[in-house]
Amino acid sequence: MNTNRYSLRRNALAVALCCRGCFFCRGTDLPFFPNMAVVLKVACRGPLGSLRGCWGFGRPQFPLLLEKQRAIAVPVVRHQGSQSIKSPPRSYVPETSLSKPPWPELSVIDPVEEAKQHQEVVLKVSSILAEGKYGRLFAVVHFASRQWKVTNEDLILIENHIDAECGDRIRLEKVLMVGGEDFTLIGRPLLGRNLVRVEATVIEKTESWPQVYMRFWKRHRYQRKKIIVQPQTVLRINTVEVASRLS
Amino acid sequence: MVFLTLSHWIRSRGPDRWWRVQEVLKHARHFRGRKNRCFRLAVRAVQRAFVYATKGRQKKRRVMRKLWISRIAAGTREHGMKYPILISNLVKTGVQVNRRVLCDLAITEPRSFQSLVALAKARREEGLRAALGDGKEPPGVFSRIVQSH
Repeated sequence: MNTNRYSLRRNALAVALCCRGCFFCRGTDLPFFPNMAVVLKVACRGPLGSLRGCWGFGRPQFPLLLEKQRAIAVPVVRHQGSQSIKSPPRSYVPETSLSKPPWPELSVIDPVEEAKQHQEVVLKVSSILAEGKYGRLFAVVHFASRQWKVTNEDLILIENHIDAECGDRIRLEKVLMVGGEDFTLIGRPLLGRNLVRVEATVIEKTESWPQVYMRFWKRHRYQRKKIIVQPQTVLRINTVEVASRLS
Repeated sequence: MVFLTLSHWIRSRGPDRWWRVQEVLKHARHFRGRKNRCFRLAVRAVQRAFVYATKGRQKKRRVMRKLWISRIAAGTREHGMKYPILISNLVKTGVQVNRRVLCDLAITEPRSFQSLVALAKARREEGLRAALGDGKEPPGVFSRIVQSH
């Protein structure tokens, strides 16, 4: 079976090679399928000109004539044809489910180029920070087990008790992200303490409105009613500042 | 002549019934129909309202999270990526920004959101490159499929 396959492949190649000499087949590049089945199909059609559009082998002077004609005909065809058939390149493989690997094509990265680009970005951001050419900054702060996106003059309502008194100035230390119009600093997961400073004042310490917690099962004569009053704190964010140098 | 025993015969059933009834009716004043006036109907309606409020507070957390997720997904798709890929790659890079803030960033800080998307994309490509390696087969591997080229 192996030898049969091999011989068939040779036939197919021979057919293809001969075909290249033909005028018509030069125009349409027969794609060389790596698939065995297709090669068999091509070979089984027989060596004598039963391939579509392939003109016979039995006329040796025909290619020469065609060459001459081609030299004249082709430029004419090129000027005329808005609908000329464009031949795909030889490396063309038609798109099937197995023609490409299922993962996306990745571009090759030059590490030197990449390092250069990174350094450029860092320089740009540090120049912006050094000159102070930023307007309003926002910060993502982790406080009281929640994350808040915060700017200057913001009010925050926190549903629990804080040990600071009213009017105390507080520094919120766990900063995840800081940004302005032209730059963002993303922490992994936190940004350094000497990089960002977010200050807030405690404005109000109250209790929430009485919320009713009720459970009721029908047909079981079960109901429980509880009134929950949460302590609340209101903070006003005074400033979000970034250090002038990226270390 | 003053009849004093008449006043002894007056009984007060319970001096605060009106106030107890008002405690329930005050929660029902904005209801529709007779349940905002009549105590018997109001009691049941108020009970159901309280139960729905407690359950709603628990469901609100779930609903809000779903909303954030769908908004973040919409934002990432605008930039040509998908939500699960964004989240998994952000976790791998060590960024611990939560969904609520991501949603806010997607709405109010589009450039920062785009930078996060780009970060996740880069991390993803890095991971794929690490997985693909050289592109060559490891040595000493053989298989039953005979390569004929």
